[in-house]
Amino acid sequence: MPIFSRLPGHEGVTVPIIEARNLRKEFRVFKRREGVWGAVRDLFHRDYVTLAAVDGINLNVEEGEFLGYIGPNGAGKSTTIKMMTGILVPTSGEIVAAGLDPYRDRTRYTKTIGVVFGQRTQLWWDIAVIESFKLLRRIYDVSTEDFRQRLGLFGELLGLDELLHTPVRKLSLGQRMRCDIAAALLHYPRIVFLDEPTIGLDVVAKDRIREFLKEINRTMKTTILLTTHDLSDIEELCRRIAIIDRGRLLYDGTLDGLRRRLGRFNQILVHLHDRHSGLQLGQALGSGNGIQWEHLDELTCRIHYNREQVSSAEIIRKIVNQVPVRDIFIEEQPIEEIIKTIYSRGL
Amino acid sequence: MLVYFEFSRVAFLKILSYRLRYFTGILTYFVNVSVYYFIWRSVYSASSDVSGYDLGQIVTYVAVGWIIRSFYFNNIDRDMAAEVMEGKIAINLIKPVDTQLMYLSQTIGESCFRFVMFTLPIAALLCFVYPVRPPATFLSGLLFAMSCLLALFIFALLNFLVGTCALQLQSILGIIRAKYFIMEFMSGLLLPIAFFPRSLQEVMFYLPFQHVSYTPLQIYLGRVAGAAAVRALGIQTVWVAILYLLGRLHWKFSIARLSIQGG
Repeated sequence: MPIFSRLPGHEGVTVPIIEARNLRKEFRVFKRREGVWGAVRDLFHRDYVTLAAVDGINLNVEEGEFLGYIGPNGAGKSTTIKMMTGILVPTSGEIVAAGLDPYRDRTRYTKTIGVVFGQRTQLWWDIAVIESFKLLRRIYDVSTEDFRQRLGLFGELLGLDELLHTPVRKLSLGQRMRCDIAAALLHYPRIVFLDEPTIGLDVVAKDRIREFLKEINRTMKTTILLTTHDLSDIEELCRRIAIIDRGRLLYDGTLDGLRRRLGRFNQILVHLHDRHSGLQLGQALGSGNGIQWEHLDELTCRIHYNREQVSSAEIIRKIVNQVPVRDIFIEEQPIEEIIKTIYSRGL
Repeated sequence: MLVYFEFSRVAFLKILSYRLRYFTGILTYFVNVSVYYFIWRSVYSASSDVSGYDLGQIVTYVAVGWIIRSFYFNNIDRDMAAEVMEGKIAINLIKPVDTQLMYLSQTIGESCFRFVMFTLPIAALLCFVYPVRPPATFLSGLLFAMSCLLALFIFALLNFLVGTCALQLQSILGIIRAKYFIMEFMSGLLLPIAFFPRSLQEVMFYLPFQHVSYTPLQIYLGRVAGAAAVRALGIQTVWVAILYLLGRLHWKFSIARLSIQGG
């Protein structure tokens, strides 16, 4: 018997499971005047500024996709998620998800989705985790049999067993997050929204959660939309990413596509044979030609170069011909740096 | 519907985890009643009848008033304000449950707990220390119990109505405090409504507040009995319906204009 059985109604769907068109959300922000006199005037007359947190976003997500949704703080990620989960009403534009309008059909819609907000828990703070789960079982109308089976499965994959009888307030962040994720998936939702689920977690906890999400996505074809600041989450989980900044979509495509488009810089790590070789290396490479280099310590150097101006082969030939080296590694430009470039300069 | 029963159960469990609060609570209620007892005793040293109440009746009025308050009291408005401030209100919106019914059922669970752990010991203590009279008749006692249940709903629904303001105003601690005093005063907890100026009494007749405390107490003392008592229960029920619908409308209206703190 397969551990995960696909839910009915999942077959043969060709329309995107989430479809956002010209999505826009404005907030009216109260502009405070300065000083005491200003504060007194504020009592009688207030000036408001309208800010668009999300400014015309088009985004389609296919059933079973694992989409990474990233952007700097205040870019409009959470606002988008809140509209897609039916918490906020869009100012204009529309969303259709699982065939429903998230806001207008909220009660029906919320049964088909699971949501995890990394910053806050949806478990009941003062009571044991298992009691929260039991309550969720009632809320989502999960049969006792399914409940027991899923609890067993999640318990195994996420290591929940020893946590179930502890009150939530006594859990560590990593433990709580594992419980929160299990809670959001107990009703086997079709779409799962994860808003920074790995924030503040250690490597082991992160890894466990990632493995779990991967498994769920693979075996149940659950559509997952993930926002995060941890790009290793994205690299490990998401085939597709969407980058948002100042309320607008900057990039929508695969991670490899982004690398091809922007990853013009490669880097080579060189371990020198002895400490006198450093100077020789400098002479060998010369300057300009899109080559830069830095000493990491006496015996290690990292060379950054523009792939369009000079080939890796040429650089390596120069080095090994003139400098005694022990080892050479070619590295891709880290995704962090590519993303950093986009945040600061745009595409 | 079963889910709402589950909410009550969880609220019961939740409150169980803060036992100390209840021991201090019992003390607070005892001190409150004691203060009023001594005030009224000195008032009645001058005359034996004030606005149609003798000392025995007024002591019973005050003590039973606080005893039932220990049952119907809840903090829905404060809880909601806190949830909005922490951005936790979003968590309620992503679940397929009716928020108003959820809060109501939590309140019922909480009040069940309060009844056992709080109301009964306070009642025992106060009846032992002060000359508190029993209900006027057995029937009065029965109608009084029903009236208290309705009072619980009125109190909770009013709090939900106030708490909902937090969705738009962000900080409603001022409103909550104002409501607290209006409630103590207008519900008749501090003073029987009969002691107020006639014009004020007429205004209060059209407000729901007196049905939280004054109405059940009038039934208890037998000042409202028979058909009049049944009619009073009817009026309470109408207020429950009105406040329930108002709360729903207000909630619907408010979440459409929601902007959430944080993120």
